Amino acid sequence: MTTDTTMTTPEPTMSNARPTRRFAQLALVALVGLGALSQARPALAQSARDPQAEQFVQTRAQKVISVLADKKQSVAQKKATFHQAIDELADVQKITNFVLGKYARTITPDQRARFSAAFRTYAEGVYQNRIDDYHGEVLKVTGSVVRKPGDVIVNTTISGGQVGQPLPVSWRVMGGGTSWKVVDVQFRGVWLAITQQQDFVSTIDNAGGNIDVLISQLQRDAQRPAARK
Amino acid sequence: MRGVSARDIVMKDRLVSAAGRTRSAVLAVAVLAAGGLALGASSAFAQASSEAVAPQATEAPPPVVDAVAADESQTAYDPLEGFNRGSYGLSMGLDHAVLRPVAHGYLAVTPAPVRRRVSSVVYNLGEPSTTLNDILQGHPKRAGRSSARFLINSTIGVLGLWDVASKMNLPAHDADFGQTFGRYGVKPGPYLYVPVIGPSSFREGVGRVLDFFTDPVGIVGGGYTTTFGATRLVTQTVDTRARADTAFRALDDATDPYATARSAFGQYREAFVREATGKAQVLPDFDDIPTDPAAVSSAPAPASPDTSPKTAPAQSAPQ
Repeated sequence: MTTDTTMTTPEPTMSNARPTRRFAQLALVALVGLGALSQARPALAQSARDPQAEQFVQTRAQKVISVLADKKQSVAQKKATFHQAIDELADVQKITNFVLGKYARTITPDQRARFSAAFRTYAEGVYQNRIDDYHGEVLKVTGSVVRKPGDVIVNTTISGGQVGQPLPVSWRVMGGGTSWKVVDVQFRGVWLAITQQQDFVSTIDNAGGNIDVLISQLQRDAQRPAARK
Repeated sequence: MRGVSARDIVMKDRLVSAAGRTRSAVLAVAVLAAGGLALGASSAFAQASSEAVAPQATEAPPPVVDAVAADESQTAYDPLEGFNRGSYGLSMGLDHAVLRPVAHGYLAVTPAPVRRRVSSVVYNLGEPSTTLNDILQGHPKRAGRSSARFLINSTIGVLGLWDVASKMNLPAHDADFGQTFGRYGVKPGPYLYVPVIGPSSFREGVGRVLDFFTDPVGIVGGGYTTTFGATRLVTQTVDTRARADTAFRALDDATDPYATARSAFGQYREAFVREATGKAQVLPDFDDIPTDPAAVSSAPAPASPDTSPKTAPAQSAPQ
């Protein structure tokens, strides 16, 4: 189009169109440059990294993902391997206690035993499905932040499989040295254990503080996710 | 679950054609649904596919408010719970009747690569609004990045079909008025589940109205009454609902889906605001909850605001 005009009326358009075009080009370059510049700056200095915590997440979380991505295993095999991998990855006891929130203080030993079993089955069913939904395959640690000694957030991305773009996932791990355990997982701003706690506490609140109502609901729901697929 | 039935497709077609007829009453409902879903679902149901929406590490903005403040999301402030629960029930009923079948039909008839292209186009049209909010937040570099993205993806990326800018080291980020308010210290206020539109709060609600009226693409495209506007709206609605499908399914697993959606929404939005403020998140201390039922005093009650002060602030904006 522009070439057309320059051909027919060379003199005036040349002087008008050229600078405009040049300006547009310049603006584009400037914008692109500006954008690139914003990338040039190194990521916000993170207080401190913990290589051992990172190594733990890299190995153990990758294992959990690999178990579910493994197409050679049967569903029953996967379930058993997943159960074991969770024991190695997560501090099940700490999480079980945490998700009860304020009711962790009032629960009876008998209820605690029943809740622990019901929660474990429920959570494994739910998370097995959820991780399956995302079909991630490869976990890569991108960094970590030491909140305080023994309390570290390890940042990772999960990619491969059917994940379109690498999915950022953060793991809160506690422990020290070579002994670490995951207590919470963050996914696009949402911490799973915190969410679970609000879910459970609200359920118990609405049952007038009766923890047994939650326990029986979990036992019922534990049957459902398996049937869902 | 994702099996398509003839009914699903018919419903989808119906919705599309209905919206094509501009200024119809159906459109009014669609406007509500899409406006809500577009923002509500994408934010509340933070687990939707990460295509183009993954939170990115950002430049360090000068903190406008205190370096550390209590995380609003851990103390759900929901004085309107009665109304909200009713509204939630109604909205989920409508979702099951209309949007879910449409989304499942869409998921069934389109392959993932095609859906990614659709998401890309929809996302690209939102970039100018992101730029506007980047500027309002005093983040010129981010504004430069989002406008460069818009220019590049609209041209080289063929109307936003391909996110080529990401490959040129210009990753995507989001910004909206809710975040802008949060950046200047506005608290979310009471949680609000708007019928059909979805989870919100006083702050996010006002933000969304402003997003709607200030959206540059909406203004240039003639609002939602033009063919372009209506098509964009319907596409955005279906795309967002489809991407949020796994999150909707996660809600089905919850013992109290309402409380779960509220918690996820609050956390997602606060994390989003932290992206703009650069503040650290205050996390509950796992060790503070006593395993021994006798040790009562120091445990942080999730529903009470006086959470443990011992939590160390160390986490920077999510990567």
